[in-house]
Amino acid sequence: MQLTISEIAKCLGVPERTVRRWIRQGRLPVQRIGEEYSFSQAALERWARERNLSFFPPRVDRASQQTPELEDLQTVMRRGGVFYELAADDLRSALRAAADSIPGLETAEREDLYQRLLAREQLASTGIGKGVAIPHPRNPSGNTTKRSLITTCFLKNPVDFNAVDQQPVFVMFVLLSPSVKTHLHLLSRLTYCVRDDDFVAFLKTRPAPADFFERIARLEEQLVSAGY
Amino acid sequence: MDRIKPWLKLTRWRFFRLDDRLLLILIAVIVGNCSGLSAVALNTSIDAMVEWLQPLRHYWWAFLLPAAGAAASSIFLEKIVREGAGHGVPEVIYAVSRYGGLLRFRSSFTRLISSCLTIGSGGSAGPEAPVVISGAAIGSTIARKFGLNERQRVTLVGCGAAGAISAIFNAPIAGMVFAVEVILGEWTTLNIIPIAIAAVSGTEISRILMGNRIAFTHQVFNIDFIDIAASVGLGILAAAASILLTRLLRGMSSLCSRTGGPTWLRAALGGCVVGAMGLALPDVLGEGYHTTRLMIHGLYAPGVTLVFILLMAKILATSLTLGWGGSGGIFAPCLAIGSILGLTFQRALMALWPGANMASEGCFALLGMAGLISGMLQAPLTGIFLIVEITGGWEVILPLIIISVISTTVCHYFEPASFYLKELIDHGHLLRPGTDARVLTDLSVPELLEKDCIVVSPTMRLGEFVDIVKISHRNYFPVEDPETGEFLGMVYLDDVRPYLFNPAMYDAVVIEEIMDTDVETVHPDDDLPDVLRRMDEKRLFSMPVVSNNRFRGMISKATLLDRYRRELAVQTS
Repeated sequence: MQLTISEIAKCLGVPERTVRRWIRQGRLPVQRIGEEYSFSQAALERWARERNLSFFPPRVDRASQQTPELEDLQTVMRRGGVFYELAADDLRSALRAAADSIPGLETAEREDLYQRLLAREQLASTGIGKGVAIPHPRNPSGNTTKRSLITTCFLKNPVDFNAVDQQPVFVMFVLLSPSVKTHLHLLSRLTYCVRDDDFVAFLKTRPAPADFFERIARLEEQLVSAGY
Repeated sequence: MDRIKPWLKLTRWRFFRLDDRLLLILIAVIVGNCSGLSAVALNTSIDAMVEWLQPLRHYWWAFLLPAAGAAASSIFLEKIVREGAGHGVPEVIYAVSRYGGLLRFRSSFTRLISSCLTIGSGGSAGPEAPVVISGAAIGSTIARKFGLNERQRVTLVGCGAAGAISAIFNAPIAGMVFAVEVILGEWTTLNIIPIAIAAVSGTEISRILMGNRIAFTHQVFNIDFIDIAASVGLGILAAAASILLTRLLRGMSSLCSRTGGPTWLRAALGGCVVGAMGLALPDVLGEGYHTTRLMIHGLYAPGVTLVFILLMAKILATSLTLGWGGSGGIFAPCLAIGSILGLTFQRALMALWPGANMASEGCFALLGMAGLISGMLQAPLTGIFLIVEITGGWEVILPLIIISVISTTVCHYFEPASFYLKELIDHGHLLRPGTDARVLTDLSVPELLEKDCIVVSPTMRLGEFVDIVKISHRNYFPVEDPETGEFLGMVYLDDVRPYLFNPAMYDAVVIEEIMDTDVETVHPDDDLPDVLRRMDEKRLFSMPVVSNNRFRGMISKATLLDRYRRELAVQTS
């Protein structure tokens, strides 16, 4: 396979200028016919291997550059689902109920998730105030979910979460995500929504899923225009 | 004509593109032959000139001959072909270090003519260095004609030097070793094979044209243990003589540069003094091979005192000729001085211990030659092989090795840089392959540029700047005038970090107030070793690159390390 100078520069991770100098100095294996240069990928790979240099062909390079698109809040919340009237009288039973509600998990996974949510609560409360909590495991890399999800759980009776403002929690957003990056992205959007007092008042009305998602979509539009 | 032109361009011949190594070997044959021819040409013309001037030697004004020769060579170099003075070898090493062996075509004949004028008229200098630069320039020119790359060109420059030395001494191994040890400083299979081929073809061409004659015919010497012991003493003396010659040469050229007047007049002045010395001691004149030959054969009659005077006179004459602007090399004078030194040493020892069973004075003359060559050039292998080959005798090899290494070591102690390399090292021009200096010189500032910096404008408020910080990957933000594009200064995140979290300041502060205007900057043409030294001095990790008042990018040690490693891996294999 024949490569161009700019492709070689990308494969070797050096500027084109360096590749040109190497050719001029006779350090790169090139075939020169008249004024034209030609490079064979196999020869270059062998050359790089002999010198302990890394050589990544361009196709692999392009694939690794594609980072997965960050999903928006609404999609992730729809995936997690909304649950109402969860019966719980303390932190543990609330977390247990939440872990049982999350769709698409095996029984063993639910127990494991509960333990990890609990461990995170013991470290510091996820009750962020105004009666809202965002329980999540300590380390996202332990999650079995391949795609992030947020499950919204409205509690029957408010439960003491030892929140920052000591208010009992009436709604939990359980956040599971496969990587730190998506975790931070979703957490930042979610906290932005909860900062809005109107939204918290809206939550207290225990809205139906359709209204709830519609409200989230509106908030998210504001949020994107604000540069989040 | 248009139809012929493409054929004239050798680079288009597919035949030559079959295999690079084969091509290089074929070209090496051509280069070796050409440099051999130039060696033969110089030798023949010096002989002719000496013979032609012989009848004039008896007149009282004969001392003006070396003056006229030196002046003529100086005028020729300076006014007609516009080349620097100097004997050639450092220029070749410089070209190899800095310009990938690029030499001008005219260098292939200019030094031949000028050194012929100097030496033929009686100046004390050698024809080897001019032949070396001539061969090297031929190699470089041929490499250019074939469109070869720098590495191959450097090899061909080495081929030219090897062919030249091989041809002039009829000594192929010495030619090879000289090219590798002195000129290239790199011993790889890639360059040794073409160089060997060139040495063979250079030697062969001189044998065809001038006969297979050995410069100093073979003598049988009986070497005893006592001679090996004595060679230690001779080694130290040879080192002393080398140091004396080196310092005198340097002292003479600095004295000469302080003396006013045109160059040719100064060269004539030096030549005049040499000529005057030649009236009393004719043996100091010329390259001195005749005297050397007599000494090796044990036929040199004058007593020990006279020989000692001759030794000093020859050293002085050489430094006068070369230091004051004559043209030629130090190879032949070294051989002459060395043989005189060896002779003096042996005669002095014989006078002290008359009964000692020592080898003949011819043998010590040989050893002295090796000692001087090794000391001046600080190239022990060249000295050893040259003497073995030009005398055709292997039995002297043991004391030869001893004297060469002692002389080199002692000289290195007093003069860390050899005569050829001193000036290059002083100016930082000696870049041997695989060294730190070589790697840093090959990498340039534009190759290390990091261009992913976000440029900010001086009127931007801190609040806007915070938004820029959010999306930036870097801790440095160049400030540019939005209208003229002029570089105004830098904002370092470390300096402003505490204020970024104070929203009260977001509208109160603009970039102009927080930017650093007194920034250490780098120009794209700056030398990397310099840039690194400045970074170390100021304890900086990265610096902005600015040219024409425009910001071009950042240069940082992190990128440098990455590129340095790659460069080293590429260069050392």
